[in-house]
Amino acid sequence: MEMEEEVTQTLSGALAARIRSGSGENPYKCYQCKKCSTGCPVAQFADVHPAQIMRAVQLGDEAMSVDSRFIWLCTGCEACTTRCPQGIDVAAIMDELRIIARQDGRVRRDMPFARILDLNYKSFKRWGRLYELELVSLDLLKRPKAALGYTSLGIKMMAKGKISLLPTIGDRKQMKRMARAAERIEARRRVEAKAAAAGKAPGASGASAAGGTPKGGGAS
Amino acid sequence: MTKLAYYPGCSLHSTAKELDSSFDGTMAKLEVDLAEIPGWQCCGNSAGHSANRLLAAALPANELVKVKDDMKLDAVAVPCAACYNRFQSANHEVSDEAMAADIAQVVGRPYDGGVKVLNLVDVYHDQVGLAALEAKVVKPFQGLKVASYYGCLLTRPPKVTLAEDPEYPVHMDAVVEAIGCTPVDWDSKTDCCGAGLALCEQDVVDKLVKGIITNARERGAEAIACACPLCQINLDGRQGEIKKTDGAWVDMPILYLSQMVGHALGVSDKQLGLKKAMVDVARVLA
Repeated sequence: MEMEEEVTQTLSGALAARIRSGSGENPYKCYQCKKCSTGCPVAQFADVHPAQIMRAVQLGDEAMSVDSRFIWLCTGCEACTTRCPQGIDVAAIMDELRIIARQDGRVRRDMPFARILDLNYKSFKRWGRLYELELVSLDLLKRPKAALGYTSLGIKMMAKGKISLLPTIGDRKQMKRMARAAERIEARRRVEAKAAAAGKAPGASGASAAGGTPKGGGAS
Repeated sequence: MTKLAYYPGCSLHSTAKELDSSFDGTMAKLEVDLAEIPGWQCCGNSAGHSANRLLAAALPANELVKVKDDMKLDAVAVPCAACYNRFQSANHEVSDEAMAADIAQVVGRPYDGGVKVLNLVDVYHDQVGLAALEAKVVKPFQGLKVASYYGCLLTRPPKVTLAEDPEYPVHMDAVVEAIGCTPVDWDSKTDCCGAGLALCEQDVVDKLVKGIITNARERGAEAIACACPLCQINLDGRQGEIKKTDGAWVDMPILYLSQMVGHALGVSDKQLGLKKAMVDVARVLA
């Protein structure tokens, strides 16, 4: 008889509880009809599809959700949210998984979209408006090979006057104040939520199949 | 003369200058007075809501409260579909009391909703109205077959956008029909073009773009009308890249709805910014 690979799965409600607290969405409402996955434009290019993420979240499997490539391929097109018969805002859960990945220091380094989102956020926070040329330049410094992928179109856009060399600036002071206030409120809430979730399920931080958990996701 | 607050957003000052200028041109012809929100900020875009839900709601709420309390207006035109979606989200979020309180704390004053947010299609279809639009047409299209493309953010999710039909909206079809075009029925009308991934996942984006344009072509479209700066640059710009690997690729002109309306209303080609398109659009406007 062939050796069977032993698969253990420890159930944990911690991840679902954090998601619920951050996004207001209840992942346990999902009954796996998979409409989200069939309508998803990027599922075909990813490691897992949205319904699998929903299942993983219900089980507390962080390796399959927080560490997936999928969450950094999601375009936020909201087809899943629109079509969910249970009214779950699936796209908001994907946003929440990105936030959790950042909070727990487990953002995938091989997914450039993660960094582009960060650069984008920093850019509008710094200038009050998005400064696209700065975003692209900072991205290229980290990832020079990416130039092959987009400089040819970038140069054409420059020639058409579609890229401004200098930023157009919003109300920088007001932006700074608002960002600081929002970050303070959210950070406090998320730390509390993480601690509360871990308290509910002691020791069950990142339950995962076959030793796939890279790092504990429990309270520090 | 109607007066609308106007939120251009970051794209309309950079990659989508022609959306700004063509929209402006049509509003002048249609006697709508646009008042730009003073000192407007970025709406936070996708990067905002995938990092901080509160800031993502507070940024557009801050613009909406300016419209309501400072400008004393009750409607704002937001031609960028991505910004439009964030503005509608803010209107939706403030219906929750706890969230509204947090938003007020970040913004510095309360906003309890009530400002109407109009996207590009809404402005022509609802604000101006089809009859008034038709009456101003001086250069009608001669039945050009157009696929009206909504993409994701104009209609989804419907609880936020309050779209007429999130899967198969038809108001844009009615607008292009009013200027003499023939709208085509097609499948990819509300499909996502993947523009957000254009800086890092070009293979994914090219496949999505190819699928959308091919469907439009197969359904008989001679041009695609867009109402989103991300969709426009993506569908227009990626074709040059797609051609590098697909020798048989046939170019599809991609126009902003405002450029098409402006053309029919007699706005100058320069103001419509027709030369900014990567794929030549002149042949479908002759």
